[in-house]
Amino acid sequence: MLLAGGKGSRLNSLTKDLAKPAVPFGGKYRIIDFTLSNCANSGIDTVGVLTQYQPLVLNTYIGIGSAWDLDRKDGGVTVLPPYSESSEVKWYTGTASAIYQNMNYLKQYQPDYVLILSGDHIYKMNYESMLEYHIEKRADVTISLIEVPWVEASRFGIMNTNEDLRIVEFEEKPSNPKNNLASMGIYIFSWNILKEYLEMDDRNPESSHDFGKDVIPMLLEENKKLFAYPFKGYWKDVGTVQSLWEANMDLLNEECELDLFDHDWRIYSVNPNQPPQYISTDAIVKESLINEGSTIEGDIEKSVLFQGVTVGKGSMIKESVIMPDATIGKNCLIEKAIVPCEVKVPDGTVIRSFDDEIILVTEEMLSEFYTAY
Amino acid sequence: MKRKLLGVIDATTYHEDLEDLLTHRSLAALPFAGRYRIIDFVLSNMVNSGIRSVAIFPKMQYRSLMDHLGSGKNWDLNRKRDGLFFFPSPIVDNDGNKIGSFEHFAANMDYFYRSTQEYSIIANCYTIFNMDFRPILNWHSQAKCDITEIHHQDGRSMEMYLIKTSLLIKLIETRHETGYTCMKDVVTAIQNDYSICHYDYNGYTVMIDSIENYFSTSMKLLESNIWKQLFIKEQPIFTKVKDEPPTKYSKSSSVKNAMVANGCKIFGTVENSIVSRGVKIGKGAVIKNCIIMQKCQIEENCYLDSVILDKDVKVDAGTQLTGTTRSPYVIRKGTKQGALMNS
Repeated sequence: MLLAGGKGSRLNSLTKDLAKPAVPFGGKYRIIDFTLSNCANSGIDTVGVLTQYQPLVLNTYIGIGSAWDLDRKDGGVTVLPPYSESSEVKWYTGTASAIYQNMNYLKQYQPDYVLILSGDHIYKMNYESMLEYHIEKRADVTISLIEVPWVEASRFGIMNTNEDLRIVEFEEKPSNPKNNLASMGIYIFSWNILKEYLEMDDRNPESSHDFGKDVIPMLLEENKKLFAYPFKGYWKDVGTVQSLWEANMDLLNEECELDLFDHDWRIYSVNPNQPPQYISTDAIVKESLINEGSTIEGDIEKSVLFQGVTVGKGSMIKESVIMPDATIGKNCLIEKAIVPCEVKVPDGTVIRSFDDEIILVTEEMLSEFYTAY
Repeated sequence: MKRKLLGVIDATTYHEDLEDLLTHRSLAALPFAGRYRIIDFVLSNMVNSGIRSVAIFPKMQYRSLMDHLGSGKNWDLNRKRDGLFFFPSPIVDNDGNKIGSFEHFAANMDYFYRSTQEYSIIANCYTIFNMDFRPILNWHSQAKCDITEIHHQDGRSMEMYLIKTSLLIKLIETRHETGYTCMKDVVTAIQNDYSICHYDYNGYTVMIDSIENYFSTSMKLLESNIWKQLFIKEQPIFTKVKDEPPTKYSKSSSVKNAMVANGCKIFGTVENSIVSRGVKIGKGAVIKNCIIMQKCQIEENCYLDSVILDKDVKVDAGTQLTGTTRSPYVIRKGTKQGALMNS
């Protein structure tokens, strides 16, 4: 069950018309491609995608799931939007209630285990190994965790475990964290436990219907067997403009653990089917990722360019992310910026950050620039 | 439109001049422009012209062609009704290079009998062009032609024919009485009862029939006026998609005037070249005027000028390979080139 209804409000204008999981990433992908590809590569063939906020782009993108080999006769991908019942419209108010409202979907398949995921993160993970661990530990719930820098620990759900990795305490966004092992928002539940506790949570009027805040503490209180599954590797929550930019830049680092070129764990996406990129005689391209359908006549340094991007002569793109079908005119300078989809940057535009803060370019900003000069 | 025109692609053609590139594949499946196969052009043109039923008539070496086309999904031809059909020739040694062999069609008559499309377009598989067939159909029916042969503006036949499906069936059925073995026989006959018309097409067109013209046509892709005529946003050329990541350029890379497909890692220098999907070019390597096909690995400090590397070629560090534009050096698929082998 993939939770993909997040608004991602700290991504500002990038999520004005689309949900956070649909935000473009890495020159070709959308954020949700990573989780969907992890599912496909882990041998999971039944995936429910729960959508709510601005679902049009996401729904169209997922389609019948063929890009991730999830167009199946049995199972496959099912988009699960909130729906109305005879008495009321039930919006997804929390992560737990979102799953609870789709109990009928789950019951159809009578699963032994349910994997709950979030479509907001960039990482590669084999969920099959996590399930093996869950079975081996005879756990009721297994939660995947990652070591985060101590300074950031209070932003996450922090888990305290005993030596056996059994979770003894779970604190959601603690102000004084005792540990730096954060929940990645990935849970494996044994089906009976999930059913029982979601029903219980639904009956509780005090609950905010959130896994981290309500369901996990309730399970711990009742002494259920919750185990931590330590994850090592690249994992990034791209919730802000800064972190989205950083994650894109990570891809340019040869030492980065997130290898997009690994054929044994491919990241699948809806392929745009555009002709190869053209690098002109005037272009200089260094340390960059460039996707098909782009035409480059300027200088590109440490940048990520998506499909269909055009960069005119004499322009310089440095440490920036240029999203699909954006057009950069001639003699522009763009440094430490994100240029969203289809934005047209006129000739001679200069966009650069003086305080290291990443600039998210908007049409309004460009027209202001033009009035000022 | 979808009920009007049937697409027939003759994929039997073999050109001896291209032998080095055709040992493992048919001409239709010859890689082109970094991510396509030659047949993608005619097939995409048919799909973009609203044709919903396409029959491919291959002969030998069609494994790579079948692998490429699959169910037809990438051309949106995986349909319940109509779609993509594959009719390999039951005859091994029928006279090659006759576009639209009636003998080959006759072995698959049911396809023509069952199709409800009023007209058929019969095309060869090795033309590089981006063309909408709809205007020809209008022109053909207005001019009251029996058979329209598409000509390039220089007067040469493009070996593509538009004909009423019922007449095509008749020509196939009566092939023994008439002596016509293929469409070309009919249109070039000195005397017959049919009105044969020529439609002049003035868009960019190249028929690939030799290494020399394969090489020069590939290099022409680097000219934007040619490129723009082939890759049109509204009439895309479809191909089998691969889930390759974007191409990665390193600090040491230098790329000028090149067409580069996805999934490459470039550490060296590339000039005036076509680089296909999943190629690795090592540090210090220099690639000039080359066509590098899928998944080739060129190690450090190689020097390649006017070379065509077929798929999966591995070039050891320090190797030098040079050809000429008239006669590019062709390295066969899957081979390994060592520095000592050619010194």
